[in-house]
Amino acid sequence: MAHQPCAIVGVGQTHHKTRRWDVSLGGLVREAAQRALDDAEMTWKDIDAVVIGKAPDLFEGVMKPELYLSDALGAAGKPVFRVHTAGSVGGTTGIVAAHHVESGRHKRVLAVAYQKQSEGNAQFALGSGRGFSIGAGGAFAPFMRSYMYRTGAPAEIGPMVAVKDRKNALKNPYAHLKIEDISLEKVMASPMMWDPVRFLESCPSSDGACAVVFTDKEGGEAAAKAGRQPAWILGSAVRSEPSQFPGRDPVAPQGAADCAADVYQQAGITNPLEQIDCAELYVPFSWYEPMWLEGHHIAEFGEGWKMVERGDTEIGGRFPVNMSGGVLSSNPIGASGLLRFSEAALQVRGMAGEHQVEGANVAIAQAYGASAQYFSMWVVANSLDPFGK
Amino acid sequence: MAGTVESTIKFPYKRSLGPVLGAFMTALTEQRIMGIRSGGRVIVPPLEWDPDTGVELAHDFVDVGPAGTVESWTWVAKPTAQHPLDHPFAFALVKLDGADTALMHAVDAGSIDAMSTGMRVAPRWKAERKGHITDLDAFVPGETPETHEGGGAEEPVTMMDYDATITYRIPTTANQLRSDQASEQGRFLGLKCPICNRTYTGGRGYCPIDAIELGEEHEVDLPQKGVITNYTIITPTPYPGQTATEPFSRVHVWLDGTDVVLGYQTLLDVPNDDVHIGMRVEAVWASEGEKVDKDPRMEGNLIGFLPTGEPDNTDPDLVNRLH
Repeated sequence: MAHQPCAIVGVGQTHHKTRRWDVSLGGLVREAAQRALDDAEMTWKDIDAVVIGKAPDLFEGVMKPELYLSDALGAAGKPVFRVHTAGSVGGTTGIVAAHHVESGRHKRVLAVAYQKQSEGNAQFALGSGRGFSIGAGGAFAPFMRSYMYRTGAPAEIGPMVAVKDRKNALKNPYAHLKIEDISLEKVMASPMMWDPVRFLESCPSSDGACAVVFTDKEGGEAAAKAGRQPAWILGSAVRSEPSQFPGRDPVAPQGAADCAADVYQQAGITNPLEQIDCAELYVPFSWYEPMWLEGHHIAEFGEGWKMVERGDTEIGGRFPVNMSGGVLSSNPIGASGLLRFSEAALQVRGMAGEHQVEGANVAIAQAYGASAQYFSMWVVANSLDPFGK
Repeated sequence: MAGTVESTIKFPYKRSLGPVLGAFMTALTEQRIMGIRSGGRVIVPPLEWDPDTGVELAHDFVDVGPAGTVESWTWVAKPTAQHPLDHPFAFALVKLDGADTALMHAVDAGSIDAMSTGMRVAPRWKAERKGHITDLDAFVPGETPETHEGGGAEEPVTMMDYDATITYRIPTTANQLRSDQASEQGRFLGLKCPICNRTYTGGRGYCPIDAIELGEEHEVDLPQKGVITNYTIITPTPYPGQTATEPFSRVHVWLDGTDVVLGYQTLLDVPNDDVHIGMRVEAVWASEGEKVDKDPRMEGNLIGFLPTGEPDNTDPDLVNRLH
């Protein structure tokens, strides 16, 4: 391995809600960060550097929030690094923070990602402040229509994903949407928002934050010795591609395939379906679950929807996906990627509570952004050598 | 010749203040300035945490001022609409009596000659106060605050409005300019990469695949007709600046005989239920100088696409032509 091992020893998040008007922006990010520090049994002074991620500044109208929030995050006199890669930013924030440890530059790094959607309006911001914003749903709808056609997937597949993720959210105390009576019929009967995607197949707008504490091999081993299972990062990668050019296939982007191939290779994964125990994938609209199962080569093209249909992606299934309830249940956009990454860590640490996958030793997390063109992924495990190389 | 395009974005943001700044703003409505104790110091405006260590502070509030001392200042000779005062003033760091940190605010001294570091200032309050930093209208020279009758907010202040406006000037490239000129003449201009033969629209002066610049020598005129390959019907959600009220379609149009697919285009005069893949369409342009009420997202003079009435293209793979 060319770099130092990196361990995740602390994870924290806020309760995600439509409006967190009980806290300031600083208060919101601190809520997640304090929980991560508590989990890591650290204090603010133990942190060497802080990495902050969020989606466009236009969302809250706070320019350069990394400066505004630096003392709220105990970062006075410490290096602060801002990450922005659209919807994938939460994932990339985690990866950048891990790099600060893997490079040997710092021993303990705090990553924080957030969005306070209630301070502004995402449809406004995504439409560059003009009328007729198509939003993310409108932008992705044609991609999903193309997927449905190409694979011949039954119309219920998307709604099935929506039901599964909302049921998982009922087991997650931090999740935003808690739809107790969620059902296929209820999803199918919900209004068509961005044809062919319905309201209940779409993510909510949330206020929320997520934080992760990273440390080096020594720190990870010390935590393990003290009975606090760390999550070890076996591989991480980011990829991007231009938003449009003739011949681009946004349904199965090359960047998505390359990103997966890179992390699998780093982690020693040759058969993702067999070697990975569960996954947190960025699914803001229901059809993206089968699309990413295929796009990241967990299933062959056209086979991902069959995993959904068989119930493979439920907790207790062959390959559980989005045990936390996913982006479909909580969407503080900038934090959504880091929430995927931290849930993967919680799973392999055995700390996911009611949404724990039994015997989860290896997990992957993924986030994507903009026009399905930015990707970030990592593989985490409960040991540095889960496959007994 | 390159020019610039100016655009303005504005939005009424809402801030939740949290327990500490909320208390500070509430005190402002009562014509009081409040700090918080942090160790041996009093920090103004109050913070929820110790700025040196990040440790959360107990809500040990203390009134400061009302008068204070200017620690440093800068003169604003030509105020803009976004400045707190409409005539020349100073931005100053004011250390209020009893505080250990300075508050940045306006000093209304009348003239730059009246300003000096170390000068004493006192707050001039607004008659109408709503729990905003501008409730404190400005500081004025001297020791005596200018106050008004009447009490503070009836309820604790928890939220703050922030009406943001920003104006951008984006340089127009030569390619963009020629593309705009073509648009004014009702033409689609493409730039064809000599290596991969892909064609790009909208004045994009490079091929992202081969990483080469494209210019005038690569220009091609593109056809006006094409076929719908994919679409969505969008239900508009309300937001400040939203002009759409009813569900509207957006279509992908593949221009005939090219590799160009224009995404998310306006389709004119077709009810949402009739939008379908394979429909033949033709571009509609505003004439030169004509002002048309159109989707602000459509580029240049292109208003949208109209059905040609020709028979549908029945190729079942059209739906996959997304780019």
